[in-house]
Amino acid sequence: MDSSIPSNKTAIKIKAPKKRHLTIGWSQLLPWVIPVSVVVIWQAASTFGILASSTLPSPLAVFQDTVTLVQNGTLQKNISISLYRATVGFLIGGAFGFFFGVLNGVSRFSRSLFDSSIQMLRNIPHLSLIPLIIIAIGIDESAKISLVAIGVMFPIYINTLHGIQSVDPDLLEMGQSYGLSKRELFSKIIFPSALPTILMGVRYALGVMWTTLIVAETIASDSGIGYMSTNAEDFMDMKTIIVCIVIYALLGKLSDLIAKNIESIVLAWRDVKEVKSHD
Amino acid sequence: MTKQRTRKTGLVLLLLVWLAVAFYGYQQVNDEQTTLKTITLGYQKADPFDIARQRGVLAKKMKAKGYKIVWKQFQDGAAELQALKSGSIDYARIGDTPPVVNLAAGASFVYIAAGSTKAAGSGILVKKNSTIKSIKDLKGKRVAYTKGTSSNYLILSALKKAGMSASDIKWVNLDNAAASVAFNKGKVDAWATWDPMTSTAELTQNAKLLVTGENGVSSNRDYVLSTASFAKNNEEVSALLVKYLSADMTWANKHSTQLVKMLSDSLNLSTKIVKRMVARRSFSMTAINQTVIKEEQDIADLFYEAGLIKKKLTIKDAVAYTSD
Repeated sequence: MDSSIPSNKTAIKIKAPKKRHLTIGWSQLLPWVIPVSVVVIWQAASTFGILASSTLPSPLAVFQDTVTLVQNGTLQKNISISLYRATVGFLIGGAFGFFFGVLNGVSRFSRSLFDSSIQMLRNIPHLSLIPLIIIAIGIDESAKISLVAIGVMFPIYINTLHGIQSVDPDLLEMGQSYGLSKRELFSKIIFPSALPTILMGVRYALGVMWTTLIVAETIASDSGIGYMSTNAEDFMDMKTIIVCIVIYALLGKLSDLIAKNIESIVLAWRDVKEVKSHD
Repeated sequence: MTKQRTRKTGLVLLLLVWLAVAFYGYQQVNDEQTTLKTITLGYQKADPFDIARQRGVLAKKMKAKGYKIVWKQFQDGAAELQALKSGSIDYARIGDTPPVVNLAAGASFVYIAAGSTKAAGSGILVKKNSTIKSIKDLKGKRVAYTKGTSSNYLILSALKKAGMSASDIKWVNLDNAAASVAFNKGKVDAWATWDPMTSTAELTQNAKLLVTGENGVSSNRDYVLSTASFAKNNEEVSALLVKYLSADMTWANKHSTQLVKMLSDSLNLSTKIVKRMVARRSFSMTAINQTVIKEEQDIADLFYEAGLIKKKLTIKDAVAYTSD
């Protein structure tokens, strides 16, 4: 937010807060302009019959469908189950990704041992892994969670590795000349300077988490948002499909919000401008 | 800085809510432990297993005999048979064609039971105003189907009966969701599928059935499959399952109003569509007999002829126990 930057040197003190208030209002509204106008135009097109309700239901009809889904409890149930799978998968996958990222970042031996194998695994489409996962892990919750974990692991791994590898060598040298031990070097220099990149990986991984979950929830599933939307797809239930899409969008926005806030809290020590340039 | 503090509190609150909701989800998916022997059944929406599951009688009767029934829903037959192969489920309810394809690929499945024919609800759909009036008119036209399913066999069999060959039409391999859209938008000229897709298309997409599975084209029965090793060691379970399923199917025939409501809830389809689907079929579940062995053999032979499977199959070798 640029509200702290005085735009006019000659502005008298009393006037300043008013101006600040205005700018905050605009910058907060601006991100919602596109989503809101899309909904408004869409509703108008449906109301005036430009858009046939059999092709695409109106936002109002979608909202009514949401209300029914909430009333019979399916929406809450499916969201909570999806959230559980996503969270556990994220924690497991994130832990693995971080572990290997750090290991391969500091040890040349382990990098040559693991890195190319991980890179090979990374580009396999998740959909094609399903048969293997069914054979190896089965069809229970663990199968869905593993798939999410696999998806989440790679962005965290790559960003952790990259963050650690691109630590400023001068800083390292300085630390060494101060006589820091290996552990201190890691906790005082390597980890803090890799942190912005790692957190970027977390933000990206949160996105991947949701997209993988949809795929995961097609494995012998009778619950979850992914199940809800594939099921609606099978019978061309456009209203529920749109409800699911909106929920994905909101969940994605929510996780991004959380990640952003973590970033700004953890990286509060950094110069504001520098954070921006990495964003 | 106060702003930083509110940010922190907000974040912690958000994370706590997140975790609470996730924990609520965790409680919903983890059910209680049991000492009974667990039998896992794989099903797809609105199939005979789903009817038995929703009615709840089968699970109760099996519990009385010392077995706990666990139901696993699948979106498609491929994943379901994959799960059966790996032992994640013990029995699978499946259509008539996937077993043939899987047996040819070397799976050691056995047929346990067969359902009644669904021939009237399966067929090739065309638009009501289409110029295609008979199966002969399909020559050179694009026909949507799903590879390795009963729609694949239905087209082959219908073409054969009309004296045509497989290369006379343009085959468009799509899953049902995609095929429905393609058919609706006129991207394909015809669509081979089964109920409830056929009923839905007839009532909402201005479609009619050009040809159905009747008159020996394709019976399109339901089958219950298991693996050879499981069936061998669990003859009693299989017998009980067939017996109770059969009772459920008799119930389904007698209570069509309740059945229509049950199925329309589970499929999220209007009762009008489900009524049409239920009206043109009956329900049954019996042990394998010579009639169904012959039908499956026909599928295997035609698929072999068409080069869809690489192995000549003898279906009667893949039957665990017959009734005759």
